[in-house]
Amino acid sequence: MKVIAVTACPSGVAHTYMSAEALQVAGEKLGIDVKVETQGAAGIENKLTEEDIKEAVCVVLSTDTSIREESRFKGKKVVRMSTSKIMSSALPLMKKIQTTFS
Amino acid sequence: MNGKKIKDAIMGPLMSGTSWMIPFVVAGGIYFSLSVMLNGTLFGTPAQPTEGFLGQLNQIGSAGLALFIPILGGYIGYAIEDKAALAPGMIGAYLAREIGAGFIGGIAAGFIAGYTIRFLRKTIKLPPAYRTLLSIFIYPLIGTLVSGGAMVFLIGQPIATLMEMMTNGLNSLSGAAKVPLGLLLGSMVGVDMGGPINKVAYTFAQTQVDTLPYLMGGVGIAGAVPPLGIGLATILFKKKFSPEERDQGIAAIIMGCMGITEGAIPYATADPLRVIPAYVAGSAAGCVSGFLFGCLNHAPWGGLIVLPVVDNRLGYVAGALIGAIVVAVLMRILKPDYVPKGPKEENLDEIEELDFDFEEL
Repeated sequence: MKVIAVTACPSGVAHTYMSAEALQVAGEKLGIDVKVETQGAAGIENKLTEEDIKEAVCVVLSTDTSIREESRFKGKKVVRMSTSKIMSSALPLMKKIQTTFS
Repeated sequence: MNGKKIKDAIMGPLMSGTSWMIPFVVAGGIYFSLSVMLNGTLFGTPAQPTEGFLGQLNQIGSAGLALFIPILGGYIGYAIEDKAALAPGMIGAYLAREIGAGFIGGIAAGFIAGYTIRFLRKTIKLPPAYRTLLSIFIYPLIGTLVSGGAMVFLIGQPIATLMEMMTNGLNSLSGAAKVPLGLLLGSMVGVDMGGPINKVAYTFAQTQVDTLPYLMGGVGIAGAVPPLGIGLATILFKKKFSPEERDQGIAAIIMGCMGITEGAIPYATADPLRVIPAYVAGSAAGCVSGFLFGCLNHAPWGGLIVLPVVDNRLGYVAGALIGAIVVAVLMRILKPDYVPKGPKEENLDEIEELDFDFEEL
């Protein structure tokens, strides 16, 4: 199973990357392939490819600031959550995604 | 529309606009203030240099400062309705700056531009062959007429008057009169460590860094206090913290020096009821100290990393120390000793339920 995510926060130095890491760690624990694109102060990093988007069962988007190029995910199932919520509950989040889409 | 939706509709674009704006204020504010400071140190005239190398450095800084409000307004529009709202927002915000309506005018222009374009998208439907007409002519022309017109004919002047009153009011606050403002801004910075409440206080100070640098003086200290203070506490009061928390103490102090309040988050998530009040108290104490010591910070950022462009550096460092000590002492009083738990096996079958919905984009 593959899950993709895009995280971003106002200053783009901490929450963006901390929430991305939380998702990665939770994915590893549950055996889910997770790829997170970060839209931080340095711009877009680890950009999701068309293939990533096609393969993913669902997209996690952080809600702290607007996500750039959101229209890429048209037709996908999307979960929206603040970066701090992602950090505190990445594991239950991934677990629910796993049970919903398996 | 419920409360949360309204909050998202305002905070989301505002925070996006701020994130685009910050590099402009950093570059502009720092080069501007550096040139003024060097002018003072080298030639004994602490005024804006107009000639020579320093004059040119000043020119570079001024360019950044001239752009930040248009960027803020433009990208608020961009966050609401994408590319089509960028030009109307930026032009409106530029006019707001020219009129003297400052960052409030710029923010207003951005929202007006964004929602005007959204309205146009919904109301004007053209056959596909004429679609390009919309994005090339109709959106920029009507959008800019509305956002620019609103500034020039309607709200620009009243906002400018309001801004002038606010700036004069905040400027004339002296000594003890700054304490309530310091308590408020400091608490906001400490309470969610880089979250939305923190960002509102930061944005308020950042957007006025060129006119009221004392605001960033206090807020810059307050932002550094939670990680500095908790790091200090892990060193002074070792038995209050788990081995992992102690290991992260130095990292927290480094983050504090760099002005990244988020470094204090791990301690707060582990024990929010005791740690967050300590952060709030420490940040408030730091902010008030900065105000009372008359620290001027010309960078729209916090921590000790901005010291080169701070007036009254000693006061700034003292303020950060006072705040950090408040946090550390409160940790000593509030936090119980750490009791090692047995090796905890994470059980992947017992993850709590999380309630959320999937939407189809």
